[in-house]
This record gives sequence, C-alpha cells and structure tokens, in this order.
Amino acid sequence: MSNESASVDNTQSNSNSGNGSSAPRLEAFNLSKRYEDGVLALNNVSFQVAPGEIYAMLGGNGAGKTTTINVFLNFIEPSEGEARIDGIVAHKEPLKAKEHIAYVSENVMLYPNFTAIQNLDFFAKLGGHTGYTKDDYRDVLLRVGLQEVAHNKRLKGFSKGMRQKCGIAIAILKDAPAILLDEPTSGLDPSAGLEFIRLLGDLRSEGKAILMSTHDIFRAKEIANTIGIMNQGVLVMERAAKDLEGENLEDLYVQYMAGHTDSEQDVEIIS
Amino acid sequence: MFKIILDKELREIIGTTKFAVTFGVCAVLILLAFYVGARNYQISVQEYDASVTENMRQMEGVTDWANIDHRIFLPPQPLAALVSGVSNDIGRTVNMDVRGELRPEGSRFAEDPIFAVFRFLDLEFIFAIVLSLFAILFGYDAINGEKERGTLSLSFANSVPRDKYILGKIIGSFLALIIPLMIPILIGCLMLPLLGVPMNADSWLRLAMVILTGTMYFAVFLTLSVFISTLTQRSSTSFLVLVVAWVFAVLIIPRSSVLAAGRMVDVPSVDEVDFEKGKYSAQLFDERMNAMQAWTQANYQSDHRLMMEGMQAFRSEQQALVDEKMGIFVEQLNQERDNKADLRTGVALSLARISPTASFSLAASDLAFTSMDLRASFVDAASAYQQEFADFMRSKNADFGGDVFVGHGAPVVVEEPDPIDTRELPLFAYEPPPASEAINESLPDLGLLFMFNAFFFAGAFVRFNRYDVR
Repeated sequence: MSNESASVDNTQSNSNSGNGSSAPRLEAFNLSKRYEDGVLALNNVSFQVAPGEIYAMLGGNGAGKTTTINVFLNFIEPSEGEARIDGIVAHKEPLKAKEHIAYVSENVMLYPNFTAIQNLDFFAKLGGHTGYTKDDYRDVLLRVGLQEVAHNKRLKGFSKGMRQKCGIAIAILKDAPAILLDEPTSGLDPSAGLEFIRLLGDLRSEGKAILMSTHDIFRAKEIANTIGIMNQGVLVMERAAKDLEGENLEDLYVQYMAGHTDSEQDVEIIS
Repeated sequence: MFKIILDKELREIIGTTKFAVTFGVCAVLILLAFYVGARNYQISVQEYDASVTENMRQMEGVTDWANIDHRIFLPPQPLAALVSGVSNDIGRTVNMDVRGELRPEGSRFAEDPIFAVFRFLDLEFIFAIVLSLFAILFGYDAINGEKERGTLSLSFANSVPRDKYILGKIIGSFLALIIPLMIPILIGCLMLPLLGVPMNADSWLRLAMVILTGTMYFAVFLTLSVFISTLTQRSSTSFLVLVVAWVFAVLIIPRSSVLAAGRMVDVPSVDEVDFEKGKYSAQLFDERMNAMQAWTQANYQSDHRLMMEGMQAFRSEQQALVDEKMGIFVEQLNQERDNKADLRTGVALSLARISPTASFSLAASDLAFTSMDLRASFVDAASAYQQEFADFMRSKNADFGGDVFVGHGAPVVVEEPDPIDTRELPLFAYEPPPASEAINESLPDLGLLFMFNAFFFAGAFVRFNRYDVR
C-alpha cells in the first residue's frame, strides 16, 4: 500500500483524531439562516460533535438538517452565528475548513461513465490525496462492502446502495477528522443499512467526529452517541443516546415534531 | 487542482458513447467535406480549362480581330474547396469588350441550379452548423449537469477553488472536443494535395487560419454553453436556451440583418440602373443622329469621297462625345448605386456580426478568398485587362467604338485575309491577393470571435463564483 494507505485502515488512522483530545471537531454556534424570501431555515442552532462521536440529527423534511450540513460545507452562509470545523469558521476560511471534513450526500450519483475506481481516484485527488494506488481503492471498496467484480464497472449500472458505498469509500479515502452524512441510509436495503451502521461504528472508533442527518430513528438510536431533533429550524431536543435508553424514541420524536414538549427543558448541551 | 479537473473532464467526455457516436459522425462529415470539396475543385478546374480552350477555339478561323467574341474567366480558388463562400454564386465569366461596363456572368449555381438547392457540404458549413451543435451538446450541462448528478456538491465538499474548477471545466471540455476533431481535419488537409488541390505556402497559411478561426468559433459555442449552464439550475433549461440561441445565431440574425439593412438603405436594383442607362443612351443616340443629320445637311457636297471622310471624322468626334457623356453618366450612376450598396452591406454586416456565426463565416471566406471581395477583385482584374485588351485591339485597328459607318461606293476586290493568330491576344491572369492581406481583412472578425469567447468565459467565471452548488 502507498504512504497514504494507512488512512483506509481503521486501526491506523493518520488523522489527528483519537489523540485523546476532546475539543469539538464540529461546532455549531448560534447558527441562524434566513433566506431572501424571509423563511427562517435555522434558528439559533448550537451543538458540538467531539472526536469519536456520532451525532444523529433527526427531523422531518424542511426541519433544517440539510441546511445545517450545508452551512458546515459553506454551500450557504449563515445569517448569524458560526459553523466551526476544528475551530475554523466554515464561511470565513472555507477552503481550509473543508480540508477537515468529508461528506456523503443523500443520493450519491458520482460520474456514471467512470468506474468505481475512477470515481474514487478523482475524488481522492480532489481531497488532496494523490498517492493512492489501485490496491488502496480496492481495499477501501471491499471495506465498504462493494464486491470486487464491481470495482471496474461503470457506475451507470450501479444500484443506489452500491453508489452509496462508493460515496462512503470516498469519504473514508479523504481521511478527514470530521464526516458529514446527509441522509446516508436513505433508500438502502436493510442489509446495506446494517453494513453501513457497522462501518460508522468503525469510523467512530478511529476517532472521527460524525454528524449525520437522518429520518431513521432506530438506526440513530442504535449507533449515535448524541441525538438531536430539529423542527422548523430549531434544535428542539438534544440528548445523549444513553439517556434515552428505556424511552420510546419514536414517541418522543412524534411529540417533539408536534411541538408537545417543553424544548427549554430538553435541550441540554452534551459535552 | 486545475490539472485534476482538466484530466477528469478529458476522460469523462472522451469515455462516453455520446462522444464516440457524435465524434464518428463529425469525423465522417469532415472527411467527406474535404473529399467533396476537392472533387468540386477538380470539376471547377476542368470547367475553367474547357471554357478557356473553347474561347480560343471559337476565335480560330476568324480573319478580323473586330469579329472576335472574347471572354475571360475567373479561375477556381483552391480553398473554395473548403470554404465555398460566394464563389459559386458570382459570375465566373466576363464578356470582354474594349469599352463599357464589365459584368461577371454565369455563376455555377445559375448554370446548375440543383447545386444551389442543396448547396455544398464544406468545412465552413461543418464548423458553422455541425460543430457548433457539437459544442452545445457537450457543454450545455457542464455545470448544472454536475449539480443534477450531485457531483458538484461532492466536489465542493473538498478544498476546491471555484476559479480553478471552472477553468478546468472549460479548458478540459475544449481540449477533449477539439483535439479529436483536429484528427479528421488534419487527415483531410493531408488529403488535399493527393486529391489534386494545388496547395502552396500561401494556401496552407490561409487554411491554417481558417481552421484557427473555426476553432475559435467552436470555443464561442462551448464557452456560451458553459455560461448558460451556470445561469440555469437544470440542464433541460440550459439545453433549450442554447438551442434557441443557436437558431438565432446561425439562422435568424445573419439573414434578418440583411433584410433589415435592405429596409434601412434603399439600393436601386441593377435593372433599374440599367433602365436609366438605356434611357440616357437612347437620348444620346437621338442627339447624335440629329447632329449627324444636321451635319449632313450643312455639309453636303458632290464629292462623295470627301463628304464620307468628313462624315467619318464628325461621326468619330460625336462618338467620342457620346462615349464621354455616357461614361460620366454611367460612372455617376454606378457610383451612386455602389455607395448605397456599400452602405447597405456595411449595415447588414455590422448587424450580422452580433452573431458569432456571421463573424466566423465572414472571416473564413475572407481567408479563403471566397468572400464578396472575390467579385470586386475579379471585376478589377477584368477592368485592368480591358485596358490591355483595348490597346491590343487598337493596335489591330479593331476598335470601332460602336456602330460602323458603311459608305456607299464601288466594291473593292481584296485578297482573302489570313486568319488571326489568337496567340497574340494578351492573356488574362488572375491572382488573388496574398494571404497577409486576407488575414488583415479577417482581423476584425477574428477579434470579434475573441471578444465573444472572452465575454462568455468571463460570464461563466463570474457567474460560477456565485453559483449554488447544492
């Protein structure tokens, strides 16, 4: 394997995660976003994701989950507040901030006329990794569960699950300390979903800080360290997953979405 | 970063079935254009040689230079094989006379209207129509297509500067499309001498400039496509916008500019001008006849020979006067018409140049010397030859200046004269202006194509820096 191959080995991450530091990798500080048409997409949202932590952000459509991720990616600029990645303010130093994050979108499409390996090669180079070999790509694709027979096939014949695996492989190859996942399990079949959860666990154990937006309450409860619920741009609940043991998260979610709880009481910062 | 994006763009475009199919079609069309152009040139050369030979043959056996019917012909231009321009529309033959207006007649399309119906498939047509569509086909979704695929957001989740990204996209697309297209073009160029088109250094330089102009024109549509792609969020929208833009640029603007100029500047038709000339000529004829009649009455004398000599001298004097008056009138009339026609042409071309297609066509025809200047240049060369021809005819006492006065008297028995030697006739040689002059002529259009490129490139650049990549 090449010099950069350690980055795909879940026991030898060369990121600065897992060094015992508990400083948040991802930090939303009083984030607000009001669009030109007056719609308030984010309303004073604050949370933190520490190294080795998975933060699952639940919420319905239009709740503000993807907007939050987009602010971290500097795809949109916040009206107020800051999104910080390893202390770097995303909208002030976007190029520097993006060196510290990897991203998997809801519907990974990639280049349909490129093979899986060609796609990985392009995005790895965009991420600043020019030294990967084909073996590295093969290893990471096998790690995310994509069978070898598909590695040199064009993506236009891939199912959504296969493309999603490629997207995750790209994120792994970037070897960034923080990972943003926007509805990553959407449309995956149950076994692919399970495989994905296992993989997230591996990444967490490498010390990655993972922010995941999802509709999938059960998987969120299964894998996340912290669960936040967003409704109409407001983070209405944030709790450590361990605190939710014994509680019916689905009921809680429905209540919060319906606005039947006291958000002041439930929002607590998990350090 | 730029190199990564450029490399991706090259591989992404060239690796598609869409590219393979469209490139195959374009390659076949380009090679066909070279072949058909070369064949047309050969046919034109054969026709030209046959016309020159026939012109000399029909003079054989004529015993008096005054009885010859001499014509001169426009030799085919080698690069008309690739950029036919107006070469098939303008007259190729001038009936030579010692005086009077010279008007080229007998265009190829006039003689074979079937060719005018479908026109020829030449390199200019392929660049103007086919390759501009080719550029749109591969550029319309350059940015919004990436957005639709989700690859734009994935790319910009990395530390990718937008300026380098758009630069890599545009240059990568351009190289990916133009390099493969250059292969059939270069093969076609190499085929030209083998297919009998005489190519000297001047012709090669002209051809190289035509290809460069075509490449710039192709780049205009590519940068326009990328620009429109950055203005729209959906590729279907940008495709529609680009098709409409293409229709305007290629079909509507050049044609409507000519119509608009025709409305703005009223130019009398050739028939109207001829009518005026005919009317004035008839008036002068009447005046001359009256003068002759008056002279005859005033100078009648019994010595028939003396009277005939006097009449001949007066007739020549009158003829010179008529020629002078007619010359001034015709020149004035022609000048007025030419000035108006030049103004109309200027307005039409200025309006047409809003379209890059018009700029390209004008530059290409200037470079190939098949532009509207070809006719003027032929007429100029014919006028210069007319002087030489008139001097020659005068030296042969064959310049009778219109009607011949035949006196009555006893028939004189003379010996059978020898046939004329047609080899004595001065030769008409037509040389197009040098390539440097053609390049100078084409510079404004090349500049416009550069400006179009710069504008669309800058537009795409500025617009993409504010593009919503989500």
